Amino acid sequence: MYLGYVVDQELIKKDPHFRMGCVFCHKGNAKEMSREAAHKGMVRKPSDNLRSCMACHKKITDNYAKSLHYTTAGLRTGVMPRFSKEELKIFDEKVFEKSCRSCHASCGDCHVKGAPVSGISIGLIDKHKFVKKDEGKTCAFCHGGRVYPEYTGNYGGAPDVHYQKGMLCMDCHKKEEFHGDGTAYKTKSEVKQRPACRDCHKPGNEAKLTAQIAHREHEGKVSCYGCHSGAAYRNCSDCHGGHAAANPGMILGKSPRDKKTLTTLRLIPTVRDTFLPAGIKMEHYDVLPNYWDTPAHNIRKRTDRTRNCDVCHVEGKNFLTKEMLIKDGSKANESLIIVPKPINR
Amino acid sequence: MKRFKTLGLFLILAVTLLPALVAAQITGPIVSVADLEKNLTNPNVVVLDVRKVEEYREGHIPGAVNAAYGSWAIKKGELLNELPSIEDLSDLIAGAGIDKDSQVVIVGKTDTVPDQFDMTRVAWTLKYVGVPNVAILSGGQNQWVKEGKPLSQDMVRAKAKRFRASATGNLFVNKAYVTENLGKAAIIDTRAPAFYEGKEKLAFVPKPGRIKGAVNLPVGQLYTPEGLYKDKAELAALAQKAAGTDLAKEIILYCDTGKTCTSWALILKDMLGYQNVKIYDGSSMEWLADPAAPSEP
Repeated sequence: MYLGYVVDQELIKKDPHFRMGCVFCHKGNAKEMSREAAHKGMVRKPSDNLRSCMACHKKITDNYAKSLHYTTAGLRTGVMPRFSKEELKIFDEKVFEKSCRSCHASCGDCHVKGAPVSGISIGLIDKHKFVKKDEGKTCAFCHGGRVYPEYTGNYGGAPDVHYQKGMLCMDCHKKEEFHGDGTAYKTKSEVKQRPACRDCHKPGNEAKLTAQIAHREHEGKVSCYGCHSGAAYRNCSDCHGGHAAANPGMILGKSPRDKKTLTTLRLIPTVRDTFLPAGIKMEHYDVLPNYWDTPAHNIRKRTDRTRNCDVCHVEGKNFLTKEMLIKDGSKANESLIIVPKPINR
Repeated sequence: MKRFKTLGLFLILAVTLLPALVAAQITGPIVSVADLEKNLTNPNVVVLDVRKVEEYREGHIPGAVNAAYGSWAIKKGELLNELPSIEDLSDLIAGAGIDKDSQVVIVGKTDTVPDQFDMTRVAWTLKYVGVPNVAILSGGQNQWVKEGKPLSQDMVRAKAKRFRASATGNLFVNKAYVTENLGKAAIIDTRAPAFYEGKEKLAFVPKPGRIKGAVNLPVGQLYTPEGLYKDKAELAALAQKAAGTDLAKEIILYCDTGKTCTSWALILKDMLGYQNVKIYDGSSMEWLADPAAPSEP
């Protein structure tokens, strides 16, 4: 017997979602006796239409309709400066709505059944329970290419120190980040509720004097990740149009969003021919770099860079150089190169 | 008279309770579910759950602290299951509420063959850095669940102990050490016979074969059909065939990555009394990648 169906009477009794019967969400006709007739008009994923949940969860669904997980606006914002006006129109019609938007998460994708990623789904999260959160299944499945395996140490190196201490996604990322706060943000960098290292780790409270000095000296010059990212993370150099290429690496360079700050950079897979199948050449391809500041989720208290200043200041280990740049990449890439200065001892 | 009565009562209580207290002690490297259950309230016992955080949160032995396996053995370059830095291990162990006097019982899962050996690898690492009293739960979390024992979903935050790890003895050795001691120490390959004989190999091991002169003591022989550790007499008989009867002889064990061989190492050292037992954690991954390292067949 397949145990994934809702057959558990105890569950049906406990959870108010089931009191209205299957047809309340899934439609179809419960009075019909034949399989075909009963399933006529059935909706497989009711929460693809937020109205299904809105009847009871109005505030949350109103906010969620504007959240980045639902709108996927960040994808559009991230790439649109590369397009001419005409190209943006084509992008919006042919690419964003048909491709990027298909990645949006419905309520059910996080609370009932994992979203299909590249045609594969984890199925029901826990039979048909309405699960409040289960980061190892829901977050991990959509963010399983980069963030999650880096966080748990499955991409190599030690796990993030926060995972080591038993923390999962929602111990730092609050639910407002997922459900939204009612504002339609264009990109995640605008979101006010994003977690920051300083929320918990106040500068000046370090146990060791050397750590205090190091933090003070690098204040405003290097991001926390710049020193505390513990291992190579996934850099994707191409993943559209049925072909993919990714390699592990740690890259240090200027943040494209804040050129005064050195941080961890990640190669993002928008290459020159990414949108050619849709007829978009990307006339302004070179205004954006191929490397973006990344909050690498593999934080360690000690790294080779925290142990020895020379790793950066003499060896320049992991620093982006002209030789490392991807072939035929954006001309903006060079602006991220930073040459570390030796320390005056 | 009253004093005699009190003394008498004390003696009766002592005679009644002593066997129970003795029975509750953890002795040896392998602990049964029943013995662990009796020790859950023992303040010196730390139940260390090395499964993933997600699995721990779903349900764990009441009072168990979590420190997932990935923090105990890491990938370094091409090699899997290498030791983290000594400072990181200090933080990890102290943060889990463990110090040199703790009696640690390690609990992992046994869903797959590699999972099964997470417990012994962590046990060997703890011993290496100065926590001598370490045991593992026979059958791991799976056996605890199978026997219908209680589970908790409370996130246990251990009170950190003061502990500074330092390498004790040569429980882990490197390739140079093995090379130097070929022909002197007993080299034991704990992989399955087909791997030992060079008929099979795992994808990440560069070529089939074994360290020259190694004898075979497969980890599969450790367990009953139910996945529990065999009793001492059976294990001793198996061990003697490969390691001999000289308990003082130096023994170096290896496998593919330096993880599964820790199971026999723990049994040899802490159950059977072999005094000079070491792990070559570079194992086949490193040895068979070096054309200069003597191998066979």
